[in-house]
Amino acid sequence: MELEKLKNIIIKIGKLAEIQVSESVSALLSEAAAEGKEVKKTEHKIDKLDVKIDEICQSIFALQQPVASDLRFIMSAMQISNEIERIGDLSISIIKKTKSIKDKHDLIAKFNIAELARQVELVTTKTNECFITRDESTIGEIFVLNKTIKNRCDEAIHDIITEMKTNSKAVVSGTNLVIVLKHLERISEHCTNIAEYVHFMIHAKIIKHEKFDDRKLDS
Amino acid sequence: MRDIKIEVKDLSLYYGEKKALKEISMQIPANKVTALIGPSGCGKSTFLRCINRMNDLIPDVTITGQMLVEGVDIYNKDVDVVNIRKKIGMVFQKSNPFPKSIYENIAYGPKINGIKNKTELDEIVEVSLRQAAIWDEVKDRLGDSALGLSGGQQQRLCIARTLAVSPDIILMDEPASALDPISTSKIEELVHELKEQYTIIIVTHNMQQAARTSDHTAFFYMGELIEMGKTNAIFTKPEKKQTEDYITGRFG
Repeated sequence: MELEKLKNIIIKIGKLAEIQVSESVSALLSEAAAEGKEVKKTEHKIDKLDVKIDEICQSIFALQQPVASDLRFIMSAMQISNEIERIGDLSISIIKKTKSIKDKHDLIAKFNIAELARQVELVTTKTNECFITRDESTIGEIFVLNKTIKNRCDEAIHDIITEMKTNSKAVVSGTNLVIVLKHLERISEHCTNIAEYVHFMIHAKIIKHEKFDDRKLDS
Repeated sequence: MRDIKIEVKDLSLYYGEKKALKEISMQIPANKVTALIGPSGCGKSTFLRCINRMNDLIPDVTITGQMLVEGVDIYNKDVDVVNIRKKIGMVFQKSNPFPKSIYENIAYGPKINGIKNKTELDEIVEVSLRQAAIWDEVKDRLGDSALGLSGGQQQRLCIARTLAVSPDIILMDEPASALDPISTSKIEELVHELKEQYTIIIVTHNMQQAARTSDHTAFFYMGELIEMGKTNAIFTKPEKKQTEDYITGRFG
């Protein structure tokens, strides 16, 4: 059935994005540079699957006129694949930017970025999990994690800017690190968007644009 | 729902021993389109026919409960069935024009009701044909046989014939199921326009037609009313699993 096929492709593209995020976090935290070829190959696979998802959704809309939970699933599938594709692109940007950060390890340690990067990895994994299991508590965890990641990013960026103000030698690396942090934050935002679509799939309630504190998840 | 036109209370219908409708209770709002959906044999057409007592014509039918039209139970002994059917018109799946001229098809009902004045009849014919969105296609050949019209035109003619006796309520039993997409679209547009003046109840097997044309949808299954609600809610987030399974094509 087309809907089952669509679900499997989304799980597949989600796993590929998870791999890309892990690669980008490794590139940031370890000395070894990420394998450029592999990353490119995965990016290519994600792009192909993203197009495939659009084609399947188009065909289901045209031929099957989906309603109710099927309709919500297909609407969400199109949005989710879009979000995943962007997660993949941001991961590549992180890998590229990381190469231009001198004294990477010192900066990462100084601004406590390792834990933040691991949390972004975790939120990506949880996002795939919530799509598969449609588990309400996992959706809630993603929202909380995203909030934590955002706060940590804001703090780290503030500290880096303070450092750059007093130490001009830190400006180039500091700027690149800020860009990486913004990318990590965006990845977490995309994961949150996916969790919102999963929530919509389950409850037919649109919660995007709601403030974090106003969010009341249906159970 | 405000302005309730029809209120059904615990209505059951038996064909002999067989219970075909089981304690149906619902409220049908005035000047809205209510769609009845459900798999074949679920009772939706039987229910539709209860609304103007068409089932009276079937032997061995027993009906219990109440069918209140504007507060009056149409199954009361002192209610005149002819008046009921004047007030509640019906359009069938297969168009059934009389083998007469287009003009006579429309004028027939009003004539029976005692209107003899030619000018008055002419006006009723024109207004009815205009309301049924077929006037422009037939105005120059009102004397021609209605049987020479296309299927879609014949169906709109039948709607015009129904309108000619000034009903309040129009019942439609799959009115577009035998028509091509263009004629279907004309009927659907017509339904949309007619609801300004009439309360319309439509039985359809076409889910998209129910979704496009109706304000409220009632889902029937095995003689029971499973769920009734605003069409938008029924087709986006139905309350009952049986409704969800039916509209998403998982059974039926």
